[in-house]
Amino acid sequence: MSGFTRRQILTAGLGLTAAGVATSTAACSSGGANSDSSAEDPSGELSIMVSSANASDSAFEQVNKDFQEKFPDVTVKFTTVPNDTYEASLSSRLTAKNVDIFVAKSMSIPPSYAEGSEEDSVRLALAGGMLELTDQAFIERFDSSVLETITLEDKLFVVPTGLSYTTGLYYNKDIFEAGGLEVPTTYAELQEVLSSLKDAGTTPFGIGGKESWPAGLYMLAAVEGLFPSADAKADLAEKLWSNEVKLTDPDLVEILKRVDLAYQNAQDNFAGASYDAVPGGFASGDFAMIADGTWNQPVVDAAVDGAFEYGYFPTPMGDDAASNDHLTGKVELMLGVATDAPNQGAALAWLDFFSEKETYTSFIETAGYSSAQPDIEQSEFLESIAAYTEEFSTPWSHYWFANNKAGQDAAFPFNYPGVKPLGSGTPEQAADAAQKAWGGAF
Amino acid sequence: MTARAERAAPVRTRFPFPRRGAVRLTFGLGMLMLVLFAFVPAVAVIVVSFTDLRGLTYVPTLWVGIENYLDFFSPARAADNWNALRNTMVFAIVGTVLQMGFALAISLLLNRPLRGRNFFRAVVFMPTILGVTVGGLIWSLIFNPAGGPMQSLLHAVGTQSAFFGDPRIALGLVIFVHVWMQVGISVVIFLAGLQAIPAELQEVASIDGASAWQRFRNVTFPLLAPSLTANVLMGVVNAMHSYQLTYVLAGPSNRSTQVLSLLVYVQAFGGESGTSLSQSQGYAAAIATLQFVLVGVIALATLFYLRRREARL
Repeated sequence: MSGFTRRQILTAGLGLTAAGVATSTAACSSGGANSDSSAEDPSGELSIMVSSANASDSAFEQVNKDFQEKFPDVTVKFTTVPNDTYEASLSSRLTAKNVDIFVAKSMSIPPSYAEGSEEDSVRLALAGGMLELTDQAFIERFDSSVLETITLEDKLFVVPTGLSYTTGLYYNKDIFEAGGLEVPTTYAELQEVLSSLKDAGTTPFGIGGKESWPAGLYMLAAVEGLFPSADAKADLAEKLWSNEVKLTDPDLVEILKRVDLAYQNAQDNFAGASYDAVPGGFASGDFAMIADGTWNQPVVDAAVDGAFEYGYFPTPMGDDAASNDHLTGKVELMLGVATDAPNQGAALAWLDFFSEKETYTSFIETAGYSSAQPDIEQSEFLESIAAYTEEFSTPWSHYWFANNKAGQDAAFPFNYPGVKPLGSGTPEQAADAAQKAWGGAF
Repeated sequence: MTARAERAAPVRTRFPFPRRGAVRLTFGLGMLMLVLFAFVPAVAVIVVSFTDLRGLTYVPTLWVGIENYLDFFSPARAADNWNALRNTMVFAIVGTVLQMGFALAISLLLNRPLRGRNFFRAVVFMPTILGVTVGGLIWSLIFNPAGGPMQSLLHAVGTQSAFFGDPRIALGLVIFVHVWMQVGISVVIFLAGLQAIPAELQEVASIDGASAWQRFRNVTFPLLAPSLTANVLMGVVNAMHSYQLTYVLAGPSNRSTQVLSLLVYVQAFGGESGTSLSQSQGYAAAIATLQFVLVGVIALATLFYLRRREARL
């Protein structure tokens, strides 16, 4: 063979390998910054990544379409990722520097007793991974009381897309009227309604237990009913962290007993039912009520499709009507901009466009959110529950910071996944498992 | 050189290719890939297990020593770990035993002169080609508690089930789907082993009056031992690493099906939605390291036992 020497072959091989690795690495990373793009004159590709939900996905797609019509030099690359894999996807894309706008999971700094329990998005913002938006003009369009709840050390890193209420029940008005039932306002009345529905052969609740968290909405409602004020919830969280109270204390086991009541009155085999299948079952009249957030109202509405009238009321898990006269809510998908965003100019232009009154009104209508801006017209459905939402109050999940060193049974920390049939224990056994998982962390 | 000296001298076979460069290059590249994409990451996982790495840009990574390992063995995590360990062992043992049993039976059947044998072989191997997501989706639909075909069947006999939502049977169902997906690979290995057995041995045994069972017990099974060793080893290691199917069928938070690999996934990539827990790749790396030791010990013990058994057979 007249060809190559051994050294030449080896050198060529190693060179090819190095080139291949370098090309692969480059392909996995950013497409490069758009240096010509600015907030005033955006251009290039804009990458947006959000955690997926049917209604909000549609709303974002409409905003993107309108934005591209206004700024034809921009191409929006919109990605929706399921909640379960969102954190992993975000982490990869931030590292690769190929995302501009993304959803931050939380913007709450834990109190001193729970120091070190910050969520990743908070750590990212405080470490400089998110662009500070405090001085952006579009921030002024949002309600200051809402912004207050998502401010970190006097700085804003996110834009709220809206508000949702989490502790209510959708109910089929036709079934209630046919049974001569009134909307229950106390726990005792709720028990009576459940009993009447069962006597009439109607399944009271539909729960999507496969994903577990929909069952947690009953837990949030139970905590709200038994600890209705903000002070009571904050005090409970602190006492749990300082171990002054135990998860096996009778008043805390009562939370799981009330969750158990919901389980006892849910459809057969709900532990294997998917969350996405529940609105369909509600629309078919398979069950009279479903615990769900107002974020899912467009989906429920589409499923019911005018077949009957439905309403929404606070889940009455408290003993007196005053404890159950309100809905608690959360700030919905919070949008931030990566410090290393390849197209920061277009990202800021998009947020500005998004928060304009016309765009924003259309967005919340499609997404089913309540407004985080003042003077925005609400949907008919949200107007119908205005009596429960006069004052914006937050649920237990806002006050609770999970301990990363505790076991899974104490994540919420009320162990609703441990109660039969989601788990394999009674409320007392689930509480005991939670206390072991919690107490062992100190 | 005398004939005796010729016999005693080591046999030097001639290198079959004109040059060694190409062989060295291709093997070298293979080794390089192995080192880059297997050895380096494996060592990196061990290093990461001593840090609080979160995988987020800008967030600093700190050296935490053995804290992640102490956390793993803390009383707070005992219930989670025992549960995952128990599920992993049940999954590995029951899954492997069933996989071997079915694969052996199917391969014996498909080794016979049957009409449409190749078609049946393709059918048996098809679930392996489908992949975890498609296979998982198929069985999610079949076991859908809201009107899936299996639920309709149960209704017809007056009963019903939550399937993957029922903690008593969820793991069993996942094992069943796992076996369905993996049995094809084992069948291929067994078939290769069966076809390597000389037909004369079976004929001689028949002439000697051996029954079908005796031929299987004393001829087929001993000669199939190397295939069984390879299959069992692959089955055990695969079952102990498997989490994707469990994730697709039963979700990341289902305690009744949570295996060690899934625990690693949830910790590393924040799979538990609805909680304020942050992801911790450092802690996940610690679990992965412990799992590596566990899988290594079990795989080596299995290999040692099977090799000894092969020798006895």
